[in-house]
Amino acid sequence: MKRLASGRSEVALHELRAGAGPTLLALHALGGSSRDFVALAAHWPGRVLGLDFAGHGDSAWTRGGSYSAELHAADADTALLEAGDACIAGAGLGAYVALLVAGARPAHVRAALLLPGRGLDGGGAAPRHDQALEIRNAEALRMLDAAAARPRPAFDPMLRACETDPRPPDYARAFADGARRLLFAEDGRARPPWWEAARGASCAETAPADPAGALQRLLEAVR
Amino acid sequence: MDVSYPGAVAPARERFVESLGLRLHVVEWGDAAATPLLLTHGFYDHARSFDTFAPLLARDYRVLALDSRGHGDSDWPDAYSWLSDVLDVVNVLREIGRPAHVVGHSRGGGLATDAALLFPAGVRRLVNMDGFGPPPEGFQAAGMRRYQGTVPELLAAFLDWRRTNVSRRSFRPSPSLDDLAARRRQQNPRLTQEWLRYFAARGAREVEAEEVQAAPGATRSEGEARAKGWVWKVDPYAARGFGPWRPEWIAPAWRGLAVPMLAVWGDQPDTWGLPDPWRSERLAYAPVLETAVVAGAGHFMHIEKPAETAAFVLDFLGRA
Repeated sequence: MKRLASGRSEVALHELRAGAGPTLLALHALGGSSRDFVALAAHWPGRVLGLDFAGHGDSAWTRGGSYSAELHAADADTALLEAGDACIAGAGLGAYVALLVAGARPAHVRAALLLPGRGLDGGGAAPRHDQALEIRNAEALRMLDAAAARPRPAFDPMLRACETDPRPPDYARAFADGARRLLFAEDGRARPPWWEAARGASCAETAPADPAGALQRLLEAVR
Repeated sequence: MDVSYPGAVAPARERFVESLGLRLHVVEWGDAAATPLLLTHGFYDHARSFDTFAPLLARDYRVLALDSRGHGDSDWPDAYSWLSDVLDVVNVLREIGRPAHVVGHSRGGGLATDAALLFPAGVRRLVNMDGFGPPPEGFQAAGMRRYQGTVPELLAAFLDWRRTNVSRRSFRPSPSLDDLAARRRQQNPRLTQEWLRYFAARGAREVEAEEVQAAPGATRSEGEARAKGWVWKVDPYAARGFGPWRPEWIAPAWRGLAVPMLAVWGDQPDTWGLPDPWRSERLAYAPVLETAVVAGAGHFMHIEKPAETAAFVLDFLGRA
């Protein structure tokens, strides 16, 4: 495990698999960790790096409790600087972050695979300023109490802000339009509006629902 | 340095309140047993910007003013988000321990309004002083740097900035407090040099060249404090967040406000005030709304016309 400075904090980057061939950067879902990708890493021929997002796994909690997909994208950007050019596989919140980084750093992200998972789910066609804080009254207070509780829970309760997506679909689409190649793992189930909007980009294609098969498709795409 | 200003009264008490791992600086005026009233300042301001306004309210209330995270004498966080700033206000309200009036100016008005949404049990009445957000195209201030490009390009610019600049401790220092105040006056021409010098004496710190060396990893030196001088007690990172936020998203959530809101603005045009039609459009979302217009004042009505502004606020709060 390597600790990388990300902004004013530190994030943990784990080498889940060593190997020659393209590097894969794995981005976990909300509430998860890089360990979620240990089994899947065996299906990739090259090096697999697993990032623990801020507030998760072995990474530090963000002092002051600020979390967003864009701040997680800064964590992933730090990992990308370490990894060099890479493919990215992300689940849930990690899928959204993969989309942001693939769109903002197209020279360094060869392709991104988006898998379903927890985080930035829901959302809607109309943006809502308060959607990230659908935490009212007693619930907001419970979150604050949980954030101050000792011993600490497995991940920072303030990450609740990343549960739902206040972003309009055209925001996700702008990143998809900037990316080189995007693969969407589809199992026939309904996806959040951001996912559907990003799928409309010309660089988007469908990948199998099963993660190992989807990873194989990602490999074929960059070979 | 003793810089005085007519009508300005230093707070009677100061202390720190814990919020999300940060120590937030809170100052107080007035009878500690009176009904509490919390003041929240605007972007790049600090709690002592209320030194002329708070004493007028303190005749009737226990007045508290919060330094926002990254501002004044409060801690700097690792990163910024609107939600965590709102929750700081909620935490201070919780610490006060009984329902308080909340009066916010500019960005602090927006924070106060969202704190009232999240924690109505802690808020008696809400006053928002020209904190209705920027127009759709943002405030058009002369000389202000604007980032242009597609959304992915803007995120890339933020990521580049964050890689190298996040450990900056200050912007370029001014050689004197007068110079710092004069630079601020270019952004806020309606405020007098005399006031801004008072404001700067409480919201700036003197730095030595050695104190402002960038931390390891920070390579960019543009604008960094290199020479001895005065800088604002503001985290440079506070001005450089990134997110998908758009001004038109602000007001629809106000439909959920459970407390009455008094919206205050000045009748003079000002770079930092929200003009119509946007102001009227946004205020229409508040379920119980009163309005007050301060004659002869701009965005900083509580500094330009403290007595007139306080009269509106006291009248509104007195009907609780």
